[in-house]
Amino acid sequence: MLGYCLDLMRLGRDGIRDNRLLWLLIAGFGLFPIFTHFADLPFWNDVAMRIMLLGMAAMGLNLVLGYGGMVSFGHAAFIGIGAYCVGISQFYGITNGWAHLLFSLVACGIAGLVIGYLALRTSGIYFIMITLAFAQMLFFLFVSLETYGGDDGMSIDRADFGVVDLYDPLRLYFLIWICLALVGLALMFIVRSRFGVTLRAIKSNESRVEAMGLVPLRFKITGYVISAVICGLAGALFASWQEYVSPDIMHWTRSGELMIIIILGGLATLAGPLLGAIVFLLLEEMLPWLLAVVAPAYAENWMILFGPILIMVVMFGRGGLVGLLDRWRAANKAGRLMP
Amino acid sequence: MTMTLILEQTFNGLQAGVTLFLVAAGLTLILGIMDFVFLAHGAQVMIGAYAAAAITSVTGNFYLGLLLAIPVTFASGYLLELLIIRHLYQRDHMEQVLATFGLILFFNELIRIGFGPAALYSDLPPSLSGFVEILPDTPYPAYRLAVILAGLVLALAIHLFVSRTRVGAMVRAGANNPAMTAALGINIKILFRLIFATGACFAGVAGMLLGPLTSVQPGMGEPLLILSLVVIIIGGIGSVRGAFIAAIIVGLVDTLGRVFLPALLRLIIDQAAADGAGPALASMLVYILMAMVLIFRPTGLFPAKGS
Amino acid sequence: MKKSFSSVAVAMAMMVAPAFADNVKIGYMTTLSGGAGIIGKQMQNAVNLALEHQGGKLGGMDAEVVFVDDQRKPDVAKQLANRLLKSDQVDIVAGVIWSNLLMAIHKPVTRADKLLISSNAGPSPIAGENCHQNFFSLSWQNDQTPEAMGKHMQDAGIKSVYLIAPNYQAGKDMLSGFKRHYKGTIAAEVYTKLGQSDFQAELSALRAVAPETTMIFQPGGMGINFVKQWKQAGMDQVSKLYQVFSVDGVSLPALKDSALGILGTQTWSPDLDNAMNKRFVADYKAKHGGYPSFYAAQAYDTIMAIDYAIAKAGSKDTAKMRAALAAGGIPTTRGALKMNSNHFPIQNIYLRETVKDADGVVTTKVISTVFTDHADSYASACKF
Repeated sequence: MLGYCLDLMRLGRDGIRDNRLLWLLIAGFGLFPIFTHFADLPFWNDVAMRIMLLGMAAMGLNLVLGYGGMVSFGHAAFIGIGAYCVGISQFYGITNGWAHLLFSLVACGIAGLVIGYLALRTSGIYFIMITLAFAQMLFFLFVSLETYGGDDGMSIDRADFGVVDLYDPLRLYFLIWICLALVGLALMFIVRSRFGVTLRAIKSNESRVEAMGLVPLRFKITGYVISAVICGLAGALFASWQEYVSPDIMHWTRSGELMIIIILGGLATLAGPLLGAIVFLLLEEMLPWLLAVVAPAYAENWMILFGPILIMVVMFGRGGLVGLLDRWRAANKAGRLMP
Repeated sequence: MTMTLILEQTFNGLQAGVTLFLVAAGLTLILGIMDFVFLAHGAQVMIGAYAAAAITSVTGNFYLGLLLAIPVTFASGYLLELLIIRHLYQRDHMEQVLATFGLILFFNELIRIGFGPAALYSDLPPSLSGFVEILPDTPYPAYRLAVILAGLVLALAIHLFVSRTRVGAMVRAGANNPAMTAALGINIKILFRLIFATGACFAGVAGMLLGPLTSVQPGMGEPLLILSLVVIIIGGIGSVRGAFIAAIIVGLVDTLGRVFLPALLRLIIDQAAADGAGPALASMLVYILMAMVLIFRPTGLFPAKGS
Repeated sequence: MKKSFSSVAVAMAMMVAPAFADNVKIGYMTTLSGGAGIIGKQMQNAVNLALEHQGGKLGGMDAEVVFVDDQRKPDVAKQLANRLLKSDQVDIVAGVIWSNLLMAIHKPVTRADKLLISSNAGPSPIAGENCHQNFFSLSWQNDQTPEAMGKHMQDAGIKSVYLIAPNYQAGKDMLSGFKRHYKGTIAAEVYTKLGQSDFQAELSALRAVAPETTMIFQPGGMGINFVKQWKQAGMDQVSKLYQVFSVDGVSLPALKDSALGILGTQTWSPDLDNAMNKRFVADYKAKHGGYPSFYAAQAYDTIMAIDYAIAKAGSKDTAKMRAALAAGGIPTTRGALKMNSNHFPIQNIYLRETVKDADGVVTTKVISTVFTDHADSYASACKF
């Protein structure tokens, strides 16, 4: 037992050492409200919350997408299920936030299991499309559910977490932040565990793993369920942040957005999705502003720059931003070694 | 009465199916042969529709607009491959998704800046604005009939080209085993570029044909892109024949489902529940179809790749 | 973004204004990018025109409008609302085209004790049980317009109608609003896919039923598609077409002659005979080379209402402006607007026909007044 705990601690220490960037970013988010308080920029807390939420969902998706090599194009569905669990349980008079979270996680776990079981019969592009198909079905289902507001969505109150009054914006901020840190920690252990190593092995050579006497499908489904649950957590918090939930949250473009955030940040890295979310949402925030300064007449056409930036990232930045950082660091090191 | 309605709806489904096929034909080859996930294929539909509508409004002749728009779409596909796409063949699917998503945003915005955000005016050519009696007392719009015919003729042409010509043999070989095809000394680079440009051209033609029927506006190709991806998956990636059959199936299922499903449900469950569930189920129908096909045949109905 | 987005007129007005004058800041949210960008653009034009007409001052205060683009996404809208409140520190939040976006920002804005003024969206929860005293609509409650259509068709003695709307919340609201005043036979109630572009299958089914009349709600691009295909399929011989929110200033340039003769109801029309409307339409046409849509008119009215509220309250204090607006009598392009107890307008609704004006441009003309001083049906459920 003691040995096991020591092992776990060693694993944690190594994990933090190898993922300094992730913990640096999370620490940054933890200190950010101090900065906004003194700089008198309270609005930026709101941007930071949205970044953390999308970053959290992207981290969850990255487990299957980056580490497991399963390109799921339907993870917005899990964010949506998580968010609707909060909305629907409030609709029936349940105001306890912990209950909401429990419902969200359980519902996403079950949905992940069912969709994963059916979708994982396929692979490659077929897998991309079947996950999209399930997400679309759920999207249209919620659009037509008149009881829960249909397309207009439902307005919800921030949940009651007992001691934590979420109408205080900073408490909501730190609830999200703590969840983000927990997700980061959990993923760090998962990726380094025997399960995580097997998942990565399946990505590079499934038949070899099979030859070792393991059942790859079981690992894949487990990974899929874990990532669905993380997205559900992000969705539940998203609903609280937004005080509103509508089918828009599970539109296929959001699944695309999550994928883009991951690729932008760096596939199969722990810090990548979070870094990607920061850059993606800041670009969305800054580009219109930038264009408004340079060419005011075209301020609303900011996507004409956004598109090519995405293409450039793919063409010149292999491995996303994390890859770029690594190469830059390596180049620096090499430069220092040379006299 | 009901029989003629079913016949008429079958024609509607066919028309939806052949336009879907035109978009899917190029895309299935791009996915199958180049193994390239190209999400910006919807933009080619939009470019075709805009080119035709713009040229038609300048020249005043619909057919001239159609004729002159075809080289425009071919050129846009050719240039796109030359400038960007060929650098991305070696990347993984995810990066291709990101890059081509960037292309969608770029093209939509380009059109919006060039032609303004409002929908463009386009109408039927006068010679095809009449009706044809497909059965006594069942008039059908002549233009839609022409679209069906044009789609079928193009589908036949593609089929003959792929199955009967030397280049077609290369295409088939490429879909079955790209690496081996290249090893046999076939200039795969040129082949890729031509397939890409031709595929863009077919998607453009779909846009041109749809222009007079629907509103020509930025982003008009995206709903078609998703549906044509569904078609390709059901048909099996890389198979033109599969894409044709799947396109017709999807067109028919979507059209007939939309119209008859609410009525059918009303026979089974009570009125109120049927009115709620019918339209929702109709919207999901094609996705349910795709999921079912994939659950039972994980590589589609007519997979092209040799296992 | 805020500096360059605000109009040149305002910037110039600011330059000549005395440095210590009181000023008012308005956050205006609309959709500028993406497929619906055309609507937002028209609203932005109208807001700027209103400011120009008022010499850059609202209620005697120097006015600054911060335009933000919601991208038609609820989460973006929510974040922008927070930015307007916390970072730009606006006094009033206005605009909003879509019901779901209004639902998303309704709570944060009203809770911050700022006025939220809708230039378009008017979903029933906000008019009824979830209403808030800081919210005002300068447009309509969603049900009002189809209610008028139902009333007109009932009064015209129409025996049966075939209803078509997209399968989403607003579509269902529209049809239930219609049925509130129409008591004839409903031949069928068909829900189409949201964003559908080809309606031939629905038209074929309709031809088989051959109802006396057809009433549609197909906003935006769907309206263009539907009306175009209706004409192409020669459906005028089969049934008479009525519409709400499907033929308007935004879709007419793409429809042109194919929309001629179609009847619809609306709270506004370019030919409404009052001084403010005449000036608005004439100047808008001169500046932007085309008729404004009802979206533009409502955006113009929103700014005029703010002008009126500040002038009457003598300050930009939320409670005082609220009292001024709630009392009604707001000068708009629809005449002096009365306010209901839930802060939605009580207004006339007109029957409009699509016609050609003297220059051969397709526009709409008022045929008759269906409702005089029509109130929405949710006000009784609203308790502040």
